[in-house]
Amino acid sequence: MRYVVGGYVFILVVLFLYAVQLVWRRRRLARAVSQVAQVAQVAAAAPPVPLRATAGRSIDAVPIAEDPT
Amino acid sequence: MWRDAVLVAGKDLRIEFRSRVALSQVAPFGLGALALFAFALGPDRVIMAKGAPGLFWVAVLFCTVLAIQRSVSVESANGARDGLRLSGIDPAGLYLGKSAAVAVQLVVLEVLLAAGVVLLYGARIAVPWLIVASCALGTIGLAATGTLYGALSSGLRVRETLLPFLLLPIVAPVLLAGTRIWQAGMAGGTPSDGTQWLRLLVVFDAVYLAIGVALFGPIQETA
Amino acid sequence: MTDDRSASTGTLPHPQASVAPNTGVTLAPVQTSRARVTEYTIGTLALVGTVATVWLGVWVTPPDKVQGDLVRLVYIHPGVAWVALYLAFGLAAVSSLLYLWPRTRSLFWDRLAAASVEVGVVFNICTLVSGSIWGKPTWGVWWVWDARLTLTAVLLIMFLGYMALRRVPAEPEVRARRSAFVALFAAVDVPLVHFSVNWWNTLHQGATVLNANLSPQIHGSMAWTLLLGFVALTLLFVWMLLVRYRIGVLEDWLADNELDLALAERQSEGAGLDDKSPSDQGGAA
Repeated sequence: MRYVVGGYVFILVVLFLYAVQLVWRRRRLARAVSQVAQVAQVAAAAPPVPLRATAGRSIDAVPIAEDPT
Repeated sequence: MWRDAVLVAGKDLRIEFRSRVALSQVAPFGLGALALFAFALGPDRVIMAKGAPGLFWVAVLFCTVLAIQRSVSVESANGARDGLRLSGIDPAGLYLGKSAAVAVQLVVLEVLLAAGVVLLYGARIAVPWLIVASCALGTIGLAATGTLYGALSSGLRVRETLLPFLLLPIVAPVLLAGTRIWQAGMAGGTPSDGTQWLRLLVVFDAVYLAIGVALFGPIQETA
Repeated sequence: MTDDRSASTGTLPHPQASVAPNTGVTLAPVQTSRARVTEYTIGTLALVGTVATVWLGVWVTPPDKVQGDLVRLVYIHPGVAWVALYLAFGLAAVSSLLYLWPRTRSLFWDRLAAASVEVGVVFNICTLVSGSIWGKPTWGVWWVWDARLTLTAVLLIMFLGYMALRRVPAEPEVRARRSAFVALFAAVDVPLVHFSVNWWNTLHQGATVLNANLSPQIHGSMAWTLLLGFVALTLLFVWMLLVRYRIGVLEDWLADNELDLALAERQSEGAGLDDKSPSDQGGAA
């Protein structure tokens, strides 16, 4: 009989632990996804930064910062 | 397709002939494996003779993995893989050619290992044609599946560990069949046991050769 | 299932799907309420069914004439074996085929196959261990190279190989194709292994009749409990599959959008800065 109990216990414990792991993993991922989506929305709301301060001007028109030394 | 196969097989075999990797590295490894088995199973020749068929085929499997790795890595230098694809060689021909080259190398290795097993383990062969048939069919199966999996894992940096892991369960039927046929062909075995296993090997070979010929092209695009 | 098919086909996202127009971040996959309800229903049914099976199997049903109490393992062992060997593996193989078939190609099938394999591994381990536990008092040893156990073990290794291959970093489509091929080759091999191992075993052990499964006549409460066990475990597999599939969708979305998110974050940092000398601004995207 203890073999029967052992068999049942093993299967139930393994399945239960795996199920718990699945749920926990999904919860963690869903949280990460919503965080990412939020940050993306913030970033979208911010005005787009010009790629270079030289936008529209010749690159020679922009002074290079003086070397401090 | 056949012409391309011959071309590719010739190329691979020529590379092997000039570099002699299979002969100088894989063969000693195989024979070394036989020695290790002897150490593991003790000096009792009765046990070793009984185990000889299985040990032979396990050694062959080890050598197969090495041969496939070599076959794949030959293409990785100098963009050879892209060169092959661009050259317009029929992928099915490429597959058959590479498999054939691997098979030839394996056959040479098997002759050596068989000699080793007969000499070192005291195995006595009673029905030679069974032994030869099992080696021939088994080699085809190993080369066919190995080349397939080699192509699947060709681009991966973890290929060294992944290829044996993927390949060995698949070729379990070859190992089982090869061992059984050898056992049937040894002194004291029943030769009639071997025939159903030979049929299994034929099916195995046919299936994987067909898969390789049909799918090698798409597989190459994956790597 | 979720309604993220556009994000899962691997094609370019529809321009209006972008939730963040200045970023490359695509629409986050949201689980529909219908999917959530389905999941909860199946999960509850699975739980209830499993508990009922255990209760009936361990307490209510009578012991067997031949095997005594050991027969109680028949209510779960063949069930997990059926799920692992036929359901999980079969689904993985079919899904992989559907992915490779050009007309039905969709990352949905790839994710389904991956989920099926992972859940299948768990059930496979349950099969091997419960089979071994049943074997000890029946055969006297923890393991025999019985045809079915051996096949299950080989299948486990194949499953693990599939999962190892999936862990190799790659584009989703490349990973999907690679995994699908591996699954296909394994599927083709299974009948061959099955025959090999069967012949291997009978030749070796002669007429060892493995009596570990059913007595010739199984009737009454035993039959119903057996059926309930199969149904409950199948439902449990489906529930785990749904959750695991969802996890795959979320993981893929995160991996897809990590880079775009980082870029978006850099851009939003730059937005607050004054227009100082260009070397002070890290605004290049």
